[in-house]
Amino acid sequence: MYEVLMYDGGVHKIEELLNLIEDLGGFVLQRTQVQVQITLILTIPAEDRPLVEAKARELGGKIIEVPLAGTEIAVIGPTLGRHHMPHPICDIAEHLRRYGAITIVMGLARGRGRKTCQISASEKSIIEEYDAAIFMLGNFEECITHEKLNLFKDIQIPVVVVVGPEIESLPHCEALVCGIGRKVERMRRPEEIAKLEEIAQRVVEVIDERRKEIEEDPLFVHPSEVKDILEELGPVQECLRPAPIVLHVDGLRVKIPYQKHLKELEEVEVYGHKLKDIADISDCRLGDSTIIKIRTKAEVEGEVR
Amino acid sequence: MEFELEGTEKYALDSYQWLLERILLDMGITTMVERARLAIRPDRTLFIISLKIKHAGGKRPLRDIADIEAQGGGTFILIKDESYAPRLLSTLWRLYGRERVQQLTRLEIFVEDVPTAELSDIKMDPEEDVRSRLLDAMWRLLPEGLKVRREFYTDDVMTFVATEHGMNVDFIKEAEKVHQRMLQREE
Repeated sequence: MYEVLMYDGGVHKIEELLNLIEDLGGFVLQRTQVQVQITLILTIPAEDRPLVEAKARELGGKIIEVPLAGTEIAVIGPTLGRHHMPHPICDIAEHLRRYGAITIVMGLARGRGRKTCQISASEKSIIEEYDAAIFMLGNFEECITHEKLNLFKDIQIPVVVVVGPEIESLPHCEALVCGIGRKVERMRRPEEIAKLEEIAQRVVEVIDERRKEIEEDPLFVHPSEVKDILEELGPVQECLRPAPIVLHVDGLRVKIPYQKHLKELEEVEVYGHKLKDIADISDCRLGDSTIIKIRTKAEVEGEVR
Repeated sequence: MEFELEGTEKYALDSYQWLLERILLDMGITTMVERARLAIRPDRTLFIISLKIKHAGGKRPLRDIADIEAQGGGTFILIKDESYAPRLLSTLWRLYGRERVQQLTRLEIFVEDVPTAELSDIKMDPEEDVRSRLLDAMWRLLPEGLKVRREFYTDDVMTFVATEHGMNVDFIKEAEKVHQRMLQREE
């Protein structure tokens, strides 16, 4: 199993670390260099972690756990109105980024209210492109336990619900965090930061669970291996959007238009197979991006036979 | 500021009290509210908020807040209390039209063909501004989904009742009761 870590240190002899990662069959997912300081998000086989840690120590740097690296998470509020934004939705999204996740913030068109709150099919399908969704539902217990459940009832990805009142449990969600309701200012008090930590922990648990499920029927290739190959593609190199390729637990989001580059993507060769044979390539609901879901080893090998 | 809370969910009441305090603080108008009453019943989708405004003194005549001087076919006004400037300008525009009211600088206004005596009798209400800012604070506080709203106001008390679908007679009666209670406490 691959593990995603962050290296934080200087540039001196960094080539030694990069060579070691390559020798171990690992990848650098992101490289950020500021003068003589460098930060690498890397993925390596979990069993080789001690070797990388030893090399990092030798170079005077440190290895930091980023349990959510390689995931894209949606933080969803009832609307984008000032009642819900920027706090606490953006605070949660920002905190999860510290754990290595790529996060997006989303407001539903008609998510506010009690009897009138609703979610559309297209909103659901946009949310389902992410690895997990966090729903922020407000202060009224009566409203949360009765009507708001409909917002995430049919979502097919793991859902973490964040609410204000203390509620023992909620159906249709993988995790529940109580104690964060409406806010009109930034969450910076110690007890509020503790709550943000709690949300991050719940999300880590949910993502770990998802990764374990995938391990039972492993993917044909790790998404980071496909990322490494796709980075060589011309359209990806020309893409000016930040992070042109975003890793998911079971695939990738490539930020180039699907219609225009589908043929090119299908023909990309990954370990002797064409990408179209080992992954499902589809259009992103928000447009201008392509979603790649990698098939499992069993699926690919079954087809070959 | 004194709070009176009434409702079925303690968390909702406490959190909305805290939210109101923070919104007023953020807008710098905490000292303008003497008492607040919140009635929140999520089971009936009912939200009532009533605020009692602190007295900020009576209406002030224009001669108190500005120097007034007759000048070539009109009146020249030099505003001394800056906080009244925007409202004075809009009042003059409303009374005499934009053609006759010229804003020379930020605090200097010239009004054509209006005698000094007429202008010095204009009265400015300091609470008018307070009321509009409190109204803004209440709109910020009210839950976004409760779009059907009705308001009651007298000089010092403002009450809002909000619900989601249809405003019924019971809700209005309850809001009136809250409004009356705030008025009686005042007396």
